[in-house]
Amino acid sequence: MNPHVDFHAFAPEIVLTVTIVAVLIADLFTDDSKLPARIAALGVLGSLVPVLTLAVDGQTRSLFGGAFVVDPFSLVLTGFFLVAGYVTLLLSFDYIGEGDYYQGEFYVLLLTSLLGMIVISSARDLISIFVALETITIPTFVLAGWRKHDTKSNEASLKYFLIGVLSSAVMLYGMSLVFGLANSTVLVDIHKYASGHTPALFAVAVFLTLVGFAFKVSAVPFHFWAPDTYEGAPTPVTAFLSVASKAGGFVALLTIVRLGFFPSGNSWQPILWVLAAASMTLGNLAALRQTNIVRMLAYSSIAQGGFILVPLAVAGDVRGNAAWQAVVIYILIYGAMNLGAFAAVIAAARRTRSAEISRLAGFGRTNPAIAVMFSVFLFSLAGIPPLAGWFAKFVMFRAVFDANTTVAVVLGVIAAVNSVIAFFYYSGVVRRLWFDEPAAGVELSSPRLPVGLSAAMGLMTAVILVVGVYPQFFARLGEIAFQRG
Amino acid sequence: MTEFYRQYLSVAVLIGAAALMFGAMLGAGRLLRPNRPQPEKFITYEAGSDPVGGWGQSNVRYYVYALLFVMFDVEAVFIFPWAVNLKSLGVYGLIEMAVFIIVLTLGLVYAWRKGVLRWA
Repeated sequence: MNPHVDFHAFAPEIVLTVTIVAVLIADLFTDDSKLPARIAALGVLGSLVPVLTLAVDGQTRSLFGGAFVVDPFSLVLTGFFLVAGYVTLLLSFDYIGEGDYYQGEFYVLLLTSLLGMIVISSARDLISIFVALETITIPTFVLAGWRKHDTKSNEASLKYFLIGVLSSAVMLYGMSLVFGLANSTVLVDIHKYASGHTPALFAVAVFLTLVGFAFKVSAVPFHFWAPDTYEGAPTPVTAFLSVASKAGGFVALLTIVRLGFFPSGNSWQPILWVLAAASMTLGNLAALRQTNIVRMLAYSSIAQGGFILVPLAVAGDVRGNAAWQAVVIYILIYGAMNLGAFAAVIAAARRTRSAEISRLAGFGRTNPAIAVMFSVFLFSLAGIPPLAGWFAKFVMFRAVFDANTTVAVVLGVIAAVNSVIAFFYYSGVVRRLWFDEPAAGVELSSPRLPVGLSAAMGLMTAVILVVGVYPQFFARLGEIAFQRG
Repeated sequence: MTEFYRQYLSVAVLIGAAALMFGAMLGAGRLLRPNRPQPEKFITYEAGSDPVGGWGQSNVRYYVYALLFVMFDVEAVFIFPWAVNLKSLGVYGLIEMAVFIIVLTLGLVYAWRKGVLRWA
């Protein structure tokens, strides 16, 4: 019996898996320390090829009884994850190469986590979503502790591990209740079940499932692990966690809400509303008080996560796909901004040997190129036109006004107030970069900036400027994602 | 809206029950146990040996063997159902299983090349 398997449909996953194996073999049998990194980069780019052929083909492919679906949505996000993974590799080459780190293992784990992400954009049932989510998180537990001799890195890893396991347990409990009620793990069937009259237990099931996701995307009040983990982990890993891994959680959350729980709006909307409002407010208020740039970006990413949750929380009252599009567009733009910001932090830390914001004083005079790009990323995160961040905020507010209910408008007002607070601390860093005198005794060493790091920063700056001036580019991607193939 | 509150009541009941259960367990312990503080009770492991500096009963290096055992264990879990259906799965199943075992064996090769199998 030869079961018919559409290998083209998951060719990106196959290419990436072969790459992982090749990186491992290269690490074991050669002494060339650069080879694993090269294979990894090549493999990630290679995985983009089948994504393109599938996009040209344009057909919706459903595999494994509807558990794995390749449609425009999954292709857009697979492409996003692969590009984000490639940029993370660019950030890592020199950071990992120069330190006293294991190299081959780093790339194997990073790519394994990436594999989980591209699977999650196609996963359409509870079990495959859960397995993909664990494939994302388990390698990152190890990556967070990569600086073995640094107690902060160990602390980061342990905290992330304990919270990750706890959140998985809570989520699984919720999913088991969903399965018990709907008698199926496939989201389409859960959608059918939720359309009918649901017992009160269904609210408990949805609540527990969403709480598990809230841990994964570090939404307040389930965020407390994030700042410590982000600070202790190696900075390229932090960039990866805050962008790719977080986006993985959001993609799973979007899929599960849109295709599964959607008809039972009462059960998921209030939870997401509270998570969104709390994440924005607490994330921004805590970011105001930070003196360490990585911790500040950690809280800022919690707040940005709140902004991403806003359209999701009002999606039930938005006609058409505007809310879902807003989430996808926000994720794409957030990815570019945050990867860029962390690239700039790595570049700046190479010069100042510190992550303290005070050490960045006068950086604009000594290293203008880095400071210009750093300012672009920070202003974009704050949402200032003509940088891409404004468009992300714009689509978010548009979804809120499309919904046009009282609760949605209240959430919109909270988001607006928070945008102003956020502007305050982002511009505070920019002010330090340009208007403060360099502190006495701060030696600004100027080693050559690695090619990968400069390329990553340049690329992200270009994306932010292009999308900021010509937002139709990402808007079109958002539309394509929800077209019927 | 009443339906809405009725649904959320169940969430509140769940949280209440969880709080009650932990409160009852810890509270009962607090009421029943005698309170005799000694310095030994405050060290991390109250097992009679010092957590730092003393010697443990098992050698930490055994964890490598535990990990490798898990590898073969997982292999067996997947091989048994495949073996039962060997005939119906045919050549396709054989190739699939070969790929699976090769990837898994890579784990053993990794351990061997990194020298963790040597008892040094």
